[in-house]
Amino acid sequence: MTHRDASFRLEGITRRYGELTALEDIDFSVEQSGYVSLLGPSGSGKTCLLRIICGFEKPDAGRVWFQGRDITDLPAHERGIGFVFQNFALFPHLTVFENVAFGLRNGAVSVAEAEITRRTAEAIEMVGLAGLEDRSPEQVSGGQKQRVALARTLVMQPSLVLLDEPLGALDANLRERMQTELRAIRERLGVTFLHVTGSETEALAMGDIVAVLDAGKIIQTGTPDQIYDTPASSDVALFLNRFNMFDGTLSDGMFAGPFGTAAAPVARHNPRDVYAIRYDRTQIFDKGAALPGPALTARFLASEYLGSSIIFLFETADRKTVEVDHHLSFGEPRDLEVGGEYVLSWDPAQAIVFGKGAAA
Amino acid sequence: MESKTLKPILAVYIALFILFLYGPFIVLGIISFQQGPEGGPQFPITEWSTYWYRHLFGLTPPSRIAPLPVGEALIRSLILAFMTMVTATVLGVMAAQAFRRRFRGAGVVFYLIVLGMMVPGVLTGLGTSLLANNVVHIERHWWSTAFVTHVVYTFPFAFLVMLAIMNRFDASVEEASWSLGVSPIRTFRKVTFPLIFPGVLSAMLFAFTLSFDEFPRTLFASGRDQTLPLAIYGTFSVEIHPNIFAFGVMTTLFSFALLAVYGILMGLSVRRAKKMAMQEDIS
Amino acid sequence: MSAQNATKQKTATFRLLAPGVFWMILFLVAPIMMIVYVSFWTQTTFAINSTLTLDSWRNFFASEAYVGALWTTIRLWLIVLTLTFVIGYPAALFVGLLVKSKTLSTVLLVICVIPFWTSFLIRVLAWRPMLGKEGAINIILQKAGLIDSPIEVLLFSELSVVIGMTQIYVVFMVGPIAFMLGRIDRNIIEAARDLGAGFGRIFWKIILPLSLPGVVVGAIFVSVMVLGEFATSGALSGRKVNLLGNVIVTQVGSLKWAMASVVGVILTVLLGIVVAGFLRIVDLKREL
Repeated sequence: MTHRDASFRLEGITRRYGELTALEDIDFSVEQSGYVSLLGPSGSGKTCLLRIICGFEKPDAGRVWFQGRDITDLPAHERGIGFVFQNFALFPHLTVFENVAFGLRNGAVSVAEAEITRRTAEAIEMVGLAGLEDRSPEQVSGGQKQRVALARTLVMQPSLVLLDEPLGALDANLRERMQTELRAIRERLGVTFLHVTGSETEALAMGDIVAVLDAGKIIQTGTPDQIYDTPASSDVALFLNRFNMFDGTLSDGMFAGPFGTAAAPVARHNPRDVYAIRYDRTQIFDKGAALPGPALTARFLASEYLGSSIIFLFETADRKTVEVDHHLSFGEPRDLEVGGEYVLSWDPAQAIVFGKGAAA
Repeated sequence: MESKTLKPILAVYIALFILFLYGPFIVLGIISFQQGPEGGPQFPITEWSTYWYRHLFGLTPPSRIAPLPVGEALIRSLILAFMTMVTATVLGVMAAQAFRRRFRGAGVVFYLIVLGMMVPGVLTGLGTSLLANNVVHIERHWWSTAFVTHVVYTFPFAFLVMLAIMNRFDASVEEASWSLGVSPIRTFRKVTFPLIFPGVLSAMLFAFTLSFDEFPRTLFASGRDQTLPLAIYGTFSVEIHPNIFAFGVMTTLFSFALLAVYGILMGLSVRRAKKMAMQEDIS
Repeated sequence: MSAQNATKQKTATFRLLAPGVFWMILFLVAPIMMIVYVSFWTQTTFAINSTLTLDSWRNFFASEAYVGALWTTIRLWLIVLTLTFVIGYPAALFVGLLVKSKTLSTVLLVICVIPFWTSFLIRVLAWRPMLGKEGAINIILQKAGLIDSPIEVLLFSELSVVIGMTQIYVVFMVGPIAFMLGRIDRNIIEAARDLGAGFGRIFWKIILPLSLPGVVVGAIFVSVMVLGEFATSGALSGRKVNLLGNVIVTQVGSLKWAMASVVGVILTVLLGIVVAGFLRIVDLKREL
């Protein structure tokens, strides 16, 4: 068993709670160490999956493999997989130092006192908590609690660390900093992090690999670019919160939607016919101007300034909201009249089309 | 609006209420200072004196009034209460731990346990004596038949206290401990128990007090040797004297002492439980 | 959950519960069943034997005194229950709801509980010098000029038993109710007041219903204790008030175990009806 073998595999994992199926026939594997994001909305079963990998729950069917061994029937404390809880789960009756040292002190293998002190101090240093060793968990901030939870897990040197919405309880500023730090720590240690989140920006920003989970099934796995640029289904596209999506009909290579018809030579198989174009590929034109593609008339509602880009919100005749993202590196944005009518258009080659009739 | 008129009315009410609760106790206290040995257990106070307190401890010249047969009975009550406390608390903690997961028949088990506090002492005492006399053919003793009945009575209380504690207990710290490679047994010792310890202390206190003052069950089930409440009951039918009131004041003071010990232990337990989990490993 | 793990779980639960459950079956359920059984045994002058007969049962219902004890028990129970509720609820209201600071309410509760720490029997006894002809109450009332001659009926009557029991057991009503009231979210009451509800309305529609589980628990505690009572009635009524508990004690005293068992069964049935009735109102397990 190599020291850093972080490979794990899930085979046919199913978990039901009475009538409700939380996970259905999940197959997923990770061969090399890296940062893996598991993206899914609430109710998708992502926390359940994490708990099964770690051993807090047993699946109704399927096997879990870790480092080449079948660990499905192994109790949690024998698996050697770390877990960082959403609510941190720090031991309230112990100091920060003792929290981090807990696993070393009470594990199955006896560790010498000097080594406990050394490794604990190292872990605390690594997460940037030096100086807080004697505080009790009530006396540290949310972000610091997070780091204690992280240090406590990492000091055990697991090859796989599961993180259950680790950044959910932090404020936005802190969240961004922690995202960078988590990636840095993982890289330094060379272990695998499996990070569960409901935020698509977080999942795609942090993961080397992203798995999208919905209603108990994994619906796409790939690099962030792959997911963003080629979502496997309209559901995935919806999650990404990056596309304007239109219903309509796909036939003979043409898509008929609220914008008229557009050429759609390539389409992916999907339960419904859906036409998708990215927010930042949708452009704004005045009426009568020359258009690169289909024409969608819409009324301007409002804009929102996000620092490096501006979001423009429009409403079409059938009361659907369409969003246009303008990145400021592309030049100054237009001044738009609120309530004014404009035409939205795009290069049809950049659209992603889904169809019932497309080849699977 | 509502608080302004209601609160003062209820405040007065509560003052009267407390007076109502303490009335007999105050009377008891006053009469315990009755003149002795001729003074009787009623008003008026012929003369204030501490005679009866001295009588309790055997420090007065012999009179026609027999001292209360408390000595041995007191010891028996203490031992019995201690045995009951330990047994009831252990059973209560185990049962509450079991109830952390759902299981079939949970409702039945719950009511079976709670039944113990809902059946009056006369009945359990009577039933236990009948069983002892006619079926098992053993003699009744305070340390056997009375003991088991005491536990039947106090176990539900300990159980309910622990159940309330467990309900508020966040299990994720236990899971965190497992994920760090610590076995479930060790986790219970180092994580769960320190955190539920205040509850355990309360359960122990409850069980001890209930057993110490327990009367109806013991009346039937304790056989020849008496516990303290039985000894006191024994004096009912005979003439009562103020010495029993002096005794009442003393036992109340003892209860206060117990409560103070409990309070201190509670305060310390929080700090001690923390240190316990840490120090033990460092040494 | 895979079958293997389900079994592991069940064994752990079984092992944790087995001692307690067996204890209760052996030492609670068996004694009660024994009482039922023995109520059908034959009673000779000082002994019983296991030949089954309905004699003791017939004797019970044929005797005015015994049946009277049944009615007295029920009557006294209802009176004391009502009184503890009426007297205890306002106190619980104050402690549980109207006192803002947590420390003050804890202190008040402790004050209410302290008398409980004096030996039960001694507290019963203490009522005698309070209620007697030369007792504290009469002395105070006479000194205050409210009455001319001492009230005799205070002691050695049914009234004295009622007073004694109410005072001793009212705490068991206050505790659970105050606890439930303390758990009421004050914001609900605020919201109701903002919507214009007067105190009467708030009380009937919000406070009372939310405190109901506490009332039921208190009622069960009080009922169990009052129905099983014999010490208070013995000490304070001078043999006038005969409760079922007293009958059991006297019967056992003269070794009439069969009759004692009959009374025991009747008491059990009565208690069972009362408790089951209360539990219908509230599902206790959920509240916990």
